[in-house]
Amino acid sequence: MSGTGARPGGAGGPARRGWPDGAPERLYVVGAAEGPPAERAPLDLVTLVVTRPGAKPGAHPEHGAILRLCAGPLSIAELSAYLSLPASTVTVLVAELVEDGRVEARAPMSATAHPVALLEAVMDGLSKI
Amino acid sequence: MARSGSPGSRPSTASLWLTPLLMLVAGAAVTLVVPAGARAGVALCGLAATGFVLWEELRRERAVTALREAHAAAEATLRHRLAGQEAAAVHLATELLPAALDRLRHGAVAEDAVRGLVPENGSRLGDAHERMLRSVVEIVDTQVGVHDAAQRAFVNIARRVQAIVHQQALDMRAMEDKHGNNPDVFGDLLHLDHGNALIGRLADSVAVLGGARPGRQWRQDVPLFNVLRGAMSRINDYKRVDLHSVAEFAVVGPTVEPLIHAIAELLDNATRYSPPQARVHLTAIETTSGVAVEIEDAGVGLTDEARVRAETALALGATELDLDDLGETPRLGLAVVGRLARANDFTVALRPSAYGGVRAVLTVPQDALTATPFPGGMIAHAAVLPPPRPRPRPDLGPVAPARDDADDGIERNANGLPQRRRRGGRVPARTVPAPAGPAAPAPPPDAPVQPGMWLADFQEGVSGRLSAGDVDDPRGDAPIGKGE
Repeated sequence: MSGTGARPGGAGGPARRGWPDGAPERLYVVGAAEGPPAERAPLDLVTLVVTRPGAKPGAHPEHGAILRLCAGPLSIAELSAYLSLPASTVTVLVAELVEDGRVEARAPMSATAHPVALLEAVMDGLSKI
Repeated sequence: MARSGSPGSRPSTASLWLTPLLMLVAGAAVTLVVPAGARAGVALCGLAATGFVLWEELRRERAVTALREAHAAAEATLRHRLAGQEAAAVHLATELLPAALDRLRHGAVAEDAVRGLVPENGSRLGDAHERMLRSVVEIVDTQVGVHDAAQRAFVNIARRVQAIVHQQALDMRAMEDKHGNNPDVFGDLLHLDHGNALIGRLADSVAVLGGARPGRQWRQDVPLFNVLRGAMSRINDYKRVDLHSVAEFAVVGPTVEPLIHAIAELLDNATRYSPPQARVHLTAIETTSGVAVEIEDAGVGLTDEARVRAETALALGATELDLDDLGETPRLGLAVVGRLARANDFTVALRPSAYGGVRAVLTVPQDALTATPFPGGMIAHAAVLPPPRPRPRPDLGPVAPARDDADDGIERNANGLPQRRRRGGRVPARTVPAPAGPAAPAPPPDAPVQPGMWLADFQEGVSGRLSAGDVDDPRGDAPIGKGE
């Protein structure tokens, strides 16, 4: 009935797991947030999400899914692929979880924060090992 | 004289004898008056005349009696026939016509509906009855045909709208995936998607009232949770609906769409007839007879009159529904629910709610339910996918030759790798755990323990990540939100 082994198909767009012709619910119900996502939390595609220890999954299945997937840190882009949900919907869901204190979201580094010299030093060191 | 015994002929018997008697007396008187010589002749004449009159009287009497008897017989025959016709008319009205219409209702054509109903005795009355029956049935048949054609046209139009809406929904979902990274476009798409779903529900309602099934057919079982959220997707004020505990069942494919639609109509009623800020509570609990879906609003509740109207609307949908009954501004909702309930053995009850509004309870029968394959809903199924493990490192390609004379202010350890400082504010972090992200190799077993390793271990512990291969995954940035 469902493609259990279906992994998100990268650039080809996520497979519609289990729903050959559309899910019964629409996306605005899945992330039924009051405000537009942008106002809730500064989350973007590369924000890393980690489940806080002891977080309860709750009744919302998507929340549960995110909590389980984010046992290790995952970016919102990755979550979007695994859940077959658009990034904006995942952003809303993660924002709700962040508000509940059930996950931590870590802002990504800005590009300027990367000292090129350090990265080169790491590469050099690794190549010597 | 022979018939004088019958009571009806008594007066005529008296008058029968009166005339000859008078003639006899008159004759006798004349006989006495006339001269003696003529007496014999006069008396003879008188007797003869009296005798003739008597004979004539008797003859007439016999003729009258015969006529009277014939008349009585004819009257009896006519009465009998009249009674027979009366019975036949009553039979026609109370038996034959309903029987013919019943046959018609069960799909017989007009000709078959009439055949054999009127006994063929060759009488003109029987023929007339049959002709009348036939013309009535034909008229009714024509009217039913016109009505059916109108309903089919309704359903046909509704089906076409449904097809467009369904295609729109699929396209919209694809666009939502495509523009998922752009919150503005995504928000607009959701708005359009919502409007599209409302059109779809209206088309479904028209199809149901036209006697067809609502919209699409589901080939697979759908968890109840998704069914309820599907119903929420189709109403205007879905944000006011609080979805509470849901029994862990799945709904079998053929019942999915009727159930979604019926719950959507009840939810729409609940949100429409309660204050705009009041919440509507949606739960589904297991009962002995199936699953009871409860929709409770904090509205003004039902007055007795409104309850009667609502129950009439429910019952109206459950029985024969004429599109004319819906009125100028049709309230489709409850009629649709009633019809869906009848077709799918749901029971619907409207009761006063503890919140002051209405509690609508829709019970789904046991045979429309099955064990849910994925508790909590289909999307949650994604969660059983293995979480991403550290992916194999791609070949980084040729690396620039190592510089031994590294003199760039970076502390290095014995292996030449940069040394993390114990303390130093924000530590440079990896931006994304991208698939191609290089992971540091495990240190050789004899390598000295790095100062600062404790920090890495600590952070791994916090993040729940446990991989011997990843030595270092520093994230010095402060978490967002409530995390500290």
